[in-house]
Amino acid sequence: MAEVKCFVPQTLQEALEIRKQYHAIPLAGGSDLMVAGSMGAGVTPKFAGDVVVITNLPELKGIRELDDGSVEIGACTTSAEIAASELVHPLVRDAASRMGAIALRNSATIGGNIGNASPKGDMPQPLILLDAEVVLRSADGERRMLVDEYIIATKKTALRDDELIVSVVIPKQSFTHIFYRKIGMRRANAISKLTLSAAATVKDGVVVDFRASSGAAGPKVARCRKAEEILIGKKISELNTCKEEFLDAWNGVISPHAMPEYRRNTTRRLLTHFIDALAAGHPEGRVE
Amino acid sequence: MFSEIRFTLNGEQKIYTGDPLRRLIDVLRDDYGLTGSKEGCGEGECGACSIIKDGKLVTSCIIPVAGVNGCELLTIEGIRDTEKGKCIIDAYAEGGAVQCGFCIPGMVMATYVLLNNNPDPSEEEIRVGISGNICRCTGYDLIVECIALAAKKGAALWQK
Repeated sequence: MAEVKCFVPQTLQEALEIRKQYHAIPLAGGSDLMVAGSMGAGVTPKFAGDVVVITNLPELKGIRELDDGSVEIGACTTSAEIAASELVHPLVRDAASRMGAIALRNSATIGGNIGNASPKGDMPQPLILLDAEVVLRSADGERRMLVDEYIIATKKTALRDDELIVSVVIPKQSFTHIFYRKIGMRRANAISKLTLSAAATVKDGVVVDFRASSGAAGPKVARCRKAEEILIGKKISELNTCKEEFLDAWNGVISPHAMPEYRRNTTRRLLTHFIDALAAGHPEGRVE
Repeated sequence: MFSEIRFTLNGEQKIYTGDPLRRLIDVLRDDYGLTGSKEGCGEGECGACSIIKDGKLVTSCIIPVAGVNGCELLTIEGIRDTEKGKCIIDAYAEGGAVQCGFCIPGMVMATYVLLNNNPDPSEEEIRVGISGNICRCTGYDLIVECIALAAKKGAALWQK
């Protein structure tokens, strides 16, 4: 096997030229790639091709609010930075703050977590609920697409071999009620068994927006707009009667593989909890 | 095909010219002789290899040395003779936090970051602060008590 080349560019432009010429694998925080390629103590991890290390590129760091109220997060912004930022939507902060433990959150990046496209990755789940987009740049141009479209399946994305994820843009969203749960084996340092975000807006007793997204429940994060539509437009007094239809429709988004009974049952209980809170006139804010 | 990697290690400027994809822990231990950082799991889960990168706790087993280009690094060797380092180490010794000792360098680094950011942590905040550090002797309670002791005895150091 030819020796793997490693590039350590100082600017984004250099990194994009390297992507164009060598199609080198982008390494952001390293928390997935360094472990996947690990060869044990004292040995350089193995990579499937050349590598471009983008960890410290200043152009890929930071969180800013754009003129239209949306929030742009640089691809190499860490989970800890996202969890600490008041600019970022609370559901995304929840997911970032529950990833691994402190040290991991100081290394793992939002771009890496999306680019790795693991179904158990924590960041895509609330981002897909919020209709967030990834900004992809190459030496020749830029394009944007929904995170939901970018992640095709487990470990498969729409990234071209000359592109880098440069940022994630979360559109301005406000809901009257939000809910987040991560189910793992421990409180800290756990890989998700199941995650769920839900958000709703209730206005004058009517559900005008309802969304949910399930993570770690299939080959990619799942939303089911058809199921969501069952609840949208309903009065909160009607939620009890249409809840079962919604929950049955949501069953379909949970993959039939890997303990579907457990995942469906737990997801049903979480969604029921949130919908019951709405039906009971829960005050605006977070449903615990 | 790569430039030099420059970083500050325990206050000294270093220029590294080897393989940029080597794990930081290997470079620290094998090239610079800093064997205080231990390798436990090699997957960033156990915290034994914790060091401080630009003021933040990171696990050095999952970072390639290229990932610290331009950064300031502190290892256990860089803090052990400082006032704050001695405060933590003395408290650990006084309260009997150390059993086999393998996790302790990582625990000390996590304690250092915790007390720097939060000079008077609650028990819960201490437990969260070391939640990425696994002690296989399972001696967590004594470690938690010793961190509280370090906060109390070193109050003047941490309150800044």
